[in-house]
Amino acid sequence: MELVEVQNIQKIFRENSQAVQALTDISLTIRPGEFTALCGPSGSGKTTLLNLIGCLDRPTQGKILLDGDEISRASQQDLTKIRLRKIGFIFQDFNLIPSYTALENIEYVLWLQGVRAAARQKSALEICSRFGIEKLIGRRPSKLSRGQQQRVAVARAIIHKPKIVLGDELTANLDHKTGADLMDFLKKLNQEEGMTFVYATHDPVMMERANRIVRMQDGKIINAS
Amino acid sequence: MLLLKLALVNISRNPRRSIITVLAVGVGLAALIFLWGFGDGTNEQMRENVIKLLTGHIQIHATGFQNSLSPELTIVEKNNLLQNLSQTPFIKAVTERVKCEALVGTTEHSRGIILTGIDPERETTVTRINEFVKQGEFLGNKDDRSILIGSRLAEKIHVALGDKVVVMTQAIDGTLAGYAYHIKGIFHTGSQTLDELSAFVTLAGARDLLGIEEETHEIALRLNDRKSIPKVIIELKKTIPSDQNEILAWNDIVPETEQWVEWSEAIIRTILIAVMVVIGVSIMNTVLMSVFERTRELGVMLAIGTSPGQILRLILLETFILELFGMILGLAAGFAVTTYFGNVGISFHELEAAFSRSYMSTMTYTRVEWHHVVESIITLFLLTSFIGLYPAWKASRMEPVKAIYHS
Repeated sequence: MELVEVQNIQKIFRENSQAVQALTDISLTIRPGEFTALCGPSGSGKTTLLNLIGCLDRPTQGKILLDGDEISRASQQDLTKIRLRKIGFIFQDFNLIPSYTALENIEYVLWLQGVRAAARQKSALEICSRFGIEKLIGRRPSKLSRGQQQRVAVARAIIHKPKIVLGDELTANLDHKTGADLMDFLKKLNQEEGMTFVYATHDPVMMERANRIVRMQDGKIINAS
Repeated sequence: MLLLKLALVNISRNPRRSIITVLAVGVGLAALIFLWGFGDGTNEQMRENVIKLLTGHIQIHATGFQNSLSPELTIVEKNNLLQNLSQTPFIKAVTERVKCEALVGTTEHSRGIILTGIDPERETTVTRINEFVKQGEFLGNKDDRSILIGSRLAEKIHVALGDKVVVMTQAIDGTLAGYAYHIKGIFHTGSQTLDELSAFVTLAGARDLLGIEEETHEIALRLNDRKSIPKVIIELKKTIPSDQNEILAWNDIVPETEQWVEWSEAIIRTILIAVMVVIGVSIMNTVLMSVFERTRELGVMLAIGTSPGQILRLILLETFILELFGMILGLAAGFAVTTYFGNVGISFHELEAAFSRSYMSTMTYTRVEWHHVVESIITLFLLTSFIGLYPAWKASRMEPVKAIYHS
């Protein structure tokens, strides 16, 4: 069974009463356990497609199924629930909540899910230990290095065992080594735990890590090998 | 707990802005409490001044006397009534008065006044006019040819302590009666009505002038406290037929006092609205700025599964915490300042002429009336919470995609 089914979607943005076609007739399937890179130049529609798969936006036309649920017509309330249960996000600048410590950032999603404090902390500490950041749990994001922040961000994205983890230009603001380390780390998670990753990038080095590359241009998929 | 912690940390992110907001709420609330304290203190003193200088808590007259001051309208069955009053609970003291319109003067100057015949000893148990004698002495029981006049009246008719004045009035039989009285004391209350338009003689002296024997025009009562007035009136009405005698509370006799109180409270409420608007704008500005600065962060929170309702609660909680700190500060400061001036008072001696027209004291002692404090707190809380709803609603309605890419 496919994890994600994107069927003939279009996305049109309206800016200053002008219509901008961001995606045109996109169809794509993603199977569980894939490590997929969405590639293409800026403006090719990678982020827009990622946002649609991540339930952050809805298509103008077409249909998207995520784990069997049709998300293209779901209400905002349902989309929030789907994001909370089924999707993990790793943002470009990691976007940790600055007021929270590393541990609180990681356990935040579990708190949203209503997990009790003790169970929440246990899970968060376990994942911190696995990622080698157990000594950083009391630090705020501003006191963490970029590499440490990315691990906290990854831990936050996967602590609730989502069906799919989405990343947008994960390595754009990282130096080459840190970026490569992050991709290796994600790849390891993909291989060891079968976790599905889809990430947008235009960095050829990051594309090499993917086991599937979807190439986009001008809002269309030109190759989905 | 996480939401509370997040709210607290968010507030501490921009301490200067949060402190300014807390101060705005605190100073605003303190100002409201002080303003109410000033108004309540002034009003309370005014009420007590009227009661202790002039009316007592309750007066009984023959029906129609209060409006006409006709000398023949004396209290019906006075002795039975006095007997009843001595058995009525909450009544602390009772005094009798004879009252008439009169002309007082010398050969060169005269003035229309209300002449009141009092029992000097019993009068001091009901009113405190004796405490305001600034020159000479208060009347004694046997001073039947002595008179006590107000300071302004003395000035107007150019007389001084020890001088003689002639008082003329219409006796009960319709004839013109007049006697010469020796000025035994000059009082100064600060009340224009009393100081310029009143004079006191003994009960016997007034009865002699009017040609009445044991009759009385007015019985004035002092109660344990003002709260007992309605209960005592209900009790008295059971035994006193209204077609014979009328029972009036102090504020029926001087209704302008309560009208003044209503007017001053309306002014305070108007100021209160203005202060609330200032506080509301301050809160709105702080919370809106805070939301704007955190657009991206709120977008991320929404993206990872925080519901709009949780964002709404978070922002409202931040508003509530700012309000709470401000209110604690305002309550403490307002209570301290009001209590301080309640002890030392605020002097308005320069405004005596204006104050005296409405029985206001030139020394105002502020007073904490808790119902007004609670009213201020509740109104402020509701208003600021309502104002806080807008930025909270705006934050909760953010589109995660736009918010995340907000720069």
